[in-house]
Amino acid sequence: MAVEFTDSNFEEVALKSGKPVMVDFWAEWCGPCRVVGPVVEELANDYEGKVVIGKVNVDHNTELSAKYGIRNIPTIIFIKDGEVVDKSVGASPKNILEEKIEAML
Amino acid sequence: MGIFILTILDSTMALRPTPEMQQRLSRLEFLAKQAVEGFITGLHKSPFHGFSVEFAEHRIYNPGESTRHIDWKLYARTDRMYVKRYEEETNLRCQIVIDFSSSMRYPSEVTLDSPGMNKLKYSVESAAALIELFRRQRDAVGLSLFSDTLDLQTHARSSMSHHRMLYHKLEGVMDSPSSAQETSAISSIHQIAEATPRRSLIIIFSDMLDKSEDLDSVIDALNHLRHNKHEVIVFHVLDKSTEITFDFPERPTKFVDLETGAELKLHPSEVREHYISRMASLRKELSARCGAHGIDWIDVDIAEGPVPVLARYLIKRKKLL
Repeated sequence: MAVEFTDSNFEEVALKSGKPVMVDFWAEWCGPCRVVGPVVEELANDYEGKVVIGKVNVDHNTELSAKYGIRNIPTIIFIKDGEVVDKSVGASPKNILEEKIEAML
Repeated sequence: MGIFILTILDSTMALRPTPEMQQRLSRLEFLAKQAVEGFITGLHKSPFHGFSVEFAEHRIYNPGESTRHIDWKLYARTDRMYVKRYEEETNLRCQIVIDFSSSMRYPSEVTLDSPGMNKLKYSVESAAALIELFRRQRDAVGLSLFSDTLDLQTHARSSMSHHRMLYHKLEGVMDSPSSAQETSAISSIHQIAEATPRRSLIIIFSDMLDKSEDLDSVIDALNHLRHNKHEVIVFHVLDKSTEITFDFPERPTKFVDLETGAELKLHPSEVREHYISRMASLRKELSARCGAHGIDWIDVDIAEGPVPVLARYLIKRKKLL
């Protein structure tokens, strides 16, 4: 199950976890985000315990969106040791996201 | 330089479509559709599904840019200005290059309507099938035609009217009366390398029988394309039965170079062994040297139909995207 990140819990749940992090920036009204959503859920199950995978609703969490310069959705960012190491913009297929996760492990 | 059978050569070629050509145009388009349909039916997995041509993301609208792609329904519902972006924007840009020099009219003079096949007809039909495939994938495609000079260079576009224009040009090539035109692939390829926008996929149909006979120059020209960041596939078009296995009847035969008119009377058995070994080593060398530069060199036999061409293109596309 993907974690629901917010402006207030992101630091604690994601950055201080000591694990690589994958964050999906999305919105309810965005069609392509709804395509990526189930893929993110699957990945959260596949990599449970190894990678912290979660979602950020850009409408409710404007601070996080601004911090990471999110102008397009869906955007998926990959964070390792607090640094953004990779980014995927648009509806990407599962295998591409898997490759990027594997590169962080 | 290869060895060719005599055909009658005269006049210059015309590329402007006539009403008669336009009528027959639909036939080339129809043939292309048929070839692609048959090809797709034969695939286990369709290459056309997935994300490639779909709505892929929303981007915040920047004041001042075109309002054309704003998602107005979203604006009406939420007061947010977002632009819809499609994967199509990152699709391939492809340039099909056809050599229509006289040697491509080997082994016999044929038209689109007449039965039989020659290297030019094979190239034109394969190119038409590729254009149909590009249309379905919404990839942009352009066309270059060369013989002793670069005769045509179009931009790559993905609109319907552009595809129609390309079919016209292809028809024009087949309908043009043949004249003794030598191949100058090298200078034409250098021009194409400069004229085509960087990072295009360039698909060349040629027998690569250049008048200079200088392999280094051919490789240099192809490498120029790579230098300009193009991906390159060369379909080396051959009539396998005569050009590779030298399968001519055992009787004195007159061989005529289609490009220069030079004649040579020979008994095929006298030169067969030598010809086959030279041709094999030439093909091997070209293929190896192209491979070393990241250029796909593929021998295609005109008896095979366009399916190997389509398959090879799709493999390449998958690697690129």
